[in-house]
Amino acid sequence: MNAQPDLSRRAFFTALPAVTAGLAMPAHAADETTPHWAMLVDTRRCIACQACTMACSMENVSPEGQFRTVVATYAVTDQAGKTGLAVLPRLCNHCEEPPCIPVCPVGATFKRKDGIVLVDGDRCVGCAYCVQACPYDARFVNHNTGKADKCTFCSHRVEAGLLPACVETCVGGARIFGDINNPQSDISRRLAAADGKTRVLKPEAGTNPRVFYIGLEQQLDGRIDGASTADMMWRPDTQGA
Amino acid sequence: MNTTVEVLGFAREPGWLPWAVQYFFLIGISTAAFFLSLPGLVWRHPDWRGISRRALLAALVCGLTAPVALLADLHQPGRFLNFYLHPNLGSWMAWGSFFIPLYLLGLIGYAWLCLRPLLAEMAKRPSPFAALYRKLAYGGHDNPSAIKAAALVATLGAVLVLLYTGMEVMVVQARPLWNTALLPLIFAVTAMTGGIGMTALFEALTGNLKSAPLLNQWLARGVWLTLALLVLWLVSGLLGTSTAAHEALAATRASFGWLVTGGWLVGSTLLTLWLARNHQNSLVMPALLALHGAWLIRWIVFIGGQSLPKMGSASQSYTLTLTPDSLLGIVGMAGLCLALYIILTSLIPWDDQANA
Ligand code: SF4
Ligand code: SF4
Repeated sequence: MNAQPDLSRRAFFTALPAVTAGLAMPAHAADETTPHWAMLVDTRRCIACQACTMACSMENVSPEGQFRTVVATYAVTDQAGKTGLAVLPRLCNHCEEPPCIPVCPVGATFKRKDGIVLVDGDRCVGCAYCVQACPYDARFVNHNTGKADKCTFCSHRVEAGLLPACVETCVGGARIFGDINNPQSDISRRLAAADGKTRVLKPEAGTNPRVFYIGLEQQLDGRIDGASTADMMWRPDTQGA
Repeated sequence: MNTTVEVLGFAREPGWLPWAVQYFFLIGISTAAFFLSLPGLVWRHPDWRGISRRALLAALVCGLTAPVALLADLHQPGRFLNFYLHPNLGSWMAWGSFFIPLYLLGLIGYAWLCLRPLLAEMAKRPSPFAALYRKLAYGGHDNPSAIKAAALVATLGAVLVLLYTGMEVMVVQARPLWNTALLPLIFAVTAMTGGIGMTALFEALTGNLKSAPLLNQWLARGVWLTLALLVLWLVSGLLGTSTAAHEALAATRASFGWLVTGGWLVGSTLLTLWLARNHQNSLVMPALLALHGAWLIRWIVFIGGQSLPKMGSASQSYTLTLTPDSLLGIVGMAGLCLALYIILTSLIPWDDQANA
């Protein structure tokens, strides 16, 4: 592809016939010169260990209690009364139509040619308008900097030829990161192989996310009508340590 | 249908703090009070002359305090410069940074032109500030054409401020409680009732009780309109004609807290209406209830709206704390209003004798 290394972790997939690759390519596949970074989350492989949450926090020095990525975990009971665990690793979707960008009063948030949505910390005024506009709760105002913060796909690592910290650390190999403009990349092949079986969060929001999911229940792709143990639990910040 | 329990959820804390409530409350009231100043001070309607003077005072007190709340919400006030260095004109908030100074400069100019004859009068009285009054009066000429021109600029600014404050919140599709075309109207109408409330309070403080029936008449009209807009929103949500209102109702329907909040809002609004209609000569209670209503709507929209989860089931309920971002900020803004009120009323007489 280019100077960027192929970020595939699972080289055995390169053996799959390349012919399937083009079938489910997102719109940007046409431009093959610039990479377009994306992530595929295979929820079937996620064990909700939060290793990614911790790796991200360490890598990006997130303030206490503020996370760029998390793995929401649900106990889902079906009509037969059978209960199972469902997981939803969440991060910024690096949307193709990101509602966080047009609202920014000072143009501090922007999308790079390679698809990564970033915040220019020098320009950001910390008004939190983008925090409101993001349909996925991916953004927050960093307690330490007073500016907008969110997942950057670890752009600093990607530029150095490394994988995002969460991908690197994922014990189940549930997070696959790569260039969807390169049909040979692991992510392109997996997207092609899973044609029709991938979902995105809140497709009705029209944001065209670049984080895809395999094995995601529709019921979990946005606000969920259900109980939350957080509402029942003791919280040190509100109830006192 | 499967049932879910969120075992591990991550709700974000609100990005817009009570500062936002204070700002939207004060700037809305200021614009409304400015409009109330027009019949007496521009068109010189005799019934409105006194009310309009107190309305101008309310517009100044709230208008000068409001931007302080806005700056405080930026965590570092100097950042506001970036609004002018790098404006993104696709954002309503960016436009707001131009509309606010337009309105405030218009308002200050208009207030000065209206007060000039009075300042000249004050300069003639024995006072240690006589020289200052003389300077400020700048001849003390009553110039109705200049007042009209300044009122026009301030009117444009006020309309644009009302427009942007409503639109800025309305366009956020991610927040179902905000994303309704009725929101700018609800904000504007409750700004009006709040502006009437603040003017009525200042009337009561300066001992001018005879304007009560006129103010209560307008307050009742404003409350009727508020109720109509709230019912319209509810119906649009129940019938599903507004997807956002429908979603907001779905997100709140199982919550006892929301039921109490809704009941409180409707109950206090009805009480305001009853008082304004049945106790036409009282000023303080209808005024306080009108202010309470305008503030409550903004609190529900901002703090309540942000508590509804965008993802998952965990709601982020907001608790007032004794910090500058929370309760101290609210009290601080009220204190600033009070300080400005004391300064302005100490320097300039705003009662009816001042008209003489
Ligand atoms: S997920 Fe949110 S923050 Fe990320 S690009 Fe989309 S709208 Fe913006
Ligand atoms: S918080 Fe920063 S990035 Fe977000 S809208 Fe405000 S200025 Fe833009």
